[in-house]
Amino acid sequence: MNISIYLLLWLIPLVLLMMGVWFFRSGPGSRWLAGKKINQRQLLEDALKLIFNLQQDGRPPDKFRLAVELKLDLPAVQALIARLEAQELVVAQHGILSLTTEGQRWALQVIRAHRLWERYLADEARMPLEKIHSQANLREHHMTVEEVDSLDAALGYPARDPHGDPIPTAAGVLRDLKDRTPLNEMKPGQRGRITHLEDDTPLAYAQILAEGLYVGQLISVQENNRERVVLSDDSNQFVLAQAIAENVSVHLEAPKKTADPSIIPLGNLPSQLQAEIVHIDDRCQGYTRRRFLDLGLTPGTMIYPELENPFKDPRAYRLRGTLIALRHNQASYIWVRPLSNEIQ
Amino acid sequence: MNSTLTPQAVLDRAESLRPKLSSGFRDEIVKSLYAEVERITRRSVKIGPKKKWDFDQKIDRLVTSPVLGLLIMLLILMAVFWVTIVGANVPSGLIADFLFFIEEKAADLFTNIGFPWWVTGFLWHGVFRGLAWVIAVMLPPMAIFFPIFTILEDLGYLPRVAFNLDWLFKRVGAHGKQSLTMAMGFGCNAAGVISARVIDSPRERLIAILTNNFVPCNGRFPTIIMLATVFVAAAFPPLVASFVAAGTVLGVVLVGVFFTLLVSWGLSNTILKGEASAFTLELPPYRRPNIGQILYTSLIDRTIFVLWRAVQVAAPAGAIIWILGNIFVGDLSLAQHVADFLDPLGILIGLDGVILLAYIIAIPANEIVVPTMMMVYMGVGMMTDIPDLGSLRALLVDGHGWTLLTAVNMMLFSLLHNPCATTVLTIYKETKSYKWTILGFVIPLALSFLVTFLVAAIVRLLGGG
Repeated sequence: MNISIYLLLWLIPLVLLMMGVWFFRSGPGSRWLAGKKINQRQLLEDALKLIFNLQQDGRPPDKFRLAVELKLDLPAVQALIARLEAQELVVAQHGILSLTTEGQRWALQVIRAHRLWERYLADEARMPLEKIHSQANLREHHMTVEEVDSLDAALGYPARDPHGDPIPTAAGVLRDLKDRTPLNEMKPGQRGRITHLEDDTPLAYAQILAEGLYVGQLISVQENNRERVVLSDDSNQFVLAQAIAENVSVHLEAPKKTADPSIIPLGNLPSQLQAEIVHIDDRCQGYTRRRFLDLGLTPGTMIYPELENPFKDPRAYRLRGTLIALRHNQASYIWVRPLSNEIQ
Repeated sequence: MNSTLTPQAVLDRAESLRPKLSSGFRDEIVKSLYAEVERITRRSVKIGPKKKWDFDQKIDRLVTSPVLGLLIMLLILMAVFWVTIVGANVPSGLIADFLFFIEEKAADLFTNIGFPWWVTGFLWHGVFRGLAWVIAVMLPPMAIFFPIFTILEDLGYLPRVAFNLDWLFKRVGAHGKQSLTMAMGFGCNAAGVISARVIDSPRERLIAILTNNFVPCNGRFPTIIMLATVFVAAAFPPLVASFVAAGTVLGVVLVGVFFTLLVSWGLSNTILKGEASAFTLELPPYRRPNIGQILYTSLIDRTIFVLWRAVQVAAPAGAIIWILGNIFVGDLSLAQHVADFLDPLGILIGLDGVILLAYIIAIPANEIVVPTMMMVYMGVGMMTDIPDLGSLRALLVDGHGWTLLTAVNMMLFSLLHNPCATTVLTIYKETKSYKWTILGFVIPLALSFLVTFLVAAIVRLLGGG
């Protein structure tokens, strides 16, 4: 009896843990819950968004494409199209669908909400980039224009989402960004800044993120042949298959602009070594960036790691006479130039 | 004046100019602010010799060093608990004696004047006794714990604890400062919830608020200590019994820490996935604590504040307990009827109806769980305590069929069950949201039933209980 109780004290957490795995994240339990939530309006908005995107890509939207992308059978798609036509959101000509003015306005509104939510989830909630798309898909629906406007204002009217796609303005203008050269069209020796990572194909996107590429990164092409594209950001080398590389777009820049090798992330600064803050990484936005600035982590400030805790992370840094602890992953967003003099 | 300059025109112009701003203009604003601050500082602040810093740095090195730092932390925490528990015993007894003496005299006086028995009973054995009980159990530990805690806070030591323990909380998506709100929760969960204000990141703050309840507070500690002493330690020879009791209490606390981390992890990966989050922790310089200030903040802001809220809810609870214990339907009191009704559910989770009834009545204040239980078990009309552990054991085991399973499950239930009314109110005041308040109540409640049910079911399956 005694032994069985102590056994239990170990067993319960185990059972709870297993339940947790089932329900949390993308466990079958939570996926089942998410699936139940899809309803008619959501379907309508998804269809409008899809038709808009297909038109943008120059692919004619028809019922077969809708059926594939929305994972519906043909009768369901036909009913959906009938509803769209009845509400004068879509007109069909020879089976090709196109948005009416009202339909386009609505589609842009959904896209705006989606991309703003992606911005929010990446910057404020610091969710991993490969997860924000599906989460934003859940949040983009059932929003009034006022709600979207206040989200826009709260985020400081961002121009692009975290993948580099433009965010439509309140007036429904989708800024046309012409600074996109697909990576696989670049020649060896060309330099540029990554402006867009396509997230429509989740597998390719996850692989790009796993490589460590990000929007705003300065890269140069070293090799581009039928099998692969090799890039470098002056400290790391990235090897991508052609099928992956076509999902990365780059804004070409003059070759003279090279990254400064003496600049390192604050997280890698050796203990007790004085450094000067150069800039805060563009990937670090929103709440964390504001906190950094509030604490005085501005360019030109002197800083050095003073304390290490028993488990090495976080470290405490001395700047402007105060001691501030930062976790390693956050400190990696702050780029510093080490100075030669060591603090005694 | 230009006549075309209407407010709308200004707004429109701003709207059209906004896209032309460079993305880093906010950084530039802050940078120029800091440059201005530095300019003023250079002109007006004299920086003294650097000696004092070195001393601070030496202490910092010591308290964050791998072995010694953690050892110092453990010793300080244990010392705080020991002083609180041992130091509170005597004043608790004195206050209880004094208040119960008043109750007795006042009740006598009322009877002599000629008030009907139910007026005397309701007012003095109900309302007043409930109040007295809560004050006697609650006041001394708080009056000791909060000042000590505030001294550590003022010294600047507590942020170093958060710094040391952050690795543990980082793994579950929480903030190192949650260790401080948990430590505060040992004093009182309502105070722990308030102290979550020190966490500046919204998501981590909500996690700290919603999980604070898994740290047993002053009101629940006596119950856990009593059960550990009477049931677990009693099976060991007297020489080691007190160590076994202390070890059991420590074990319960660790189970609480485990659930805190588990639920934190669950929350940060499900419901709180989309809340804003950031980690920064300032380590202020060490300062000599200001004793006058400490006594004021810890006594007025924390002790009196928490006590007042508890008193507000303890008085009505005392009244309800008295009514339940003194109104008879048939041969049994109302309390007995309700307990009988709850019995099947109680048995299912390894407890019994009386314990569940005591926990329902004790929603306002956990201090009165054991006295209410004793009242119903002994069939008397007011809350009662049995100071002698031997006869207590006899009453529970021989009289009411308690087993080790009952004791363990009651410890678990006491640790995990819903927060008291004061804490729930505080969660609402801190979050201003019904959603989080309800979750703060439901998550622990569901977890407590689930865990005790599983324990009971498995023990019975294995042929115990």
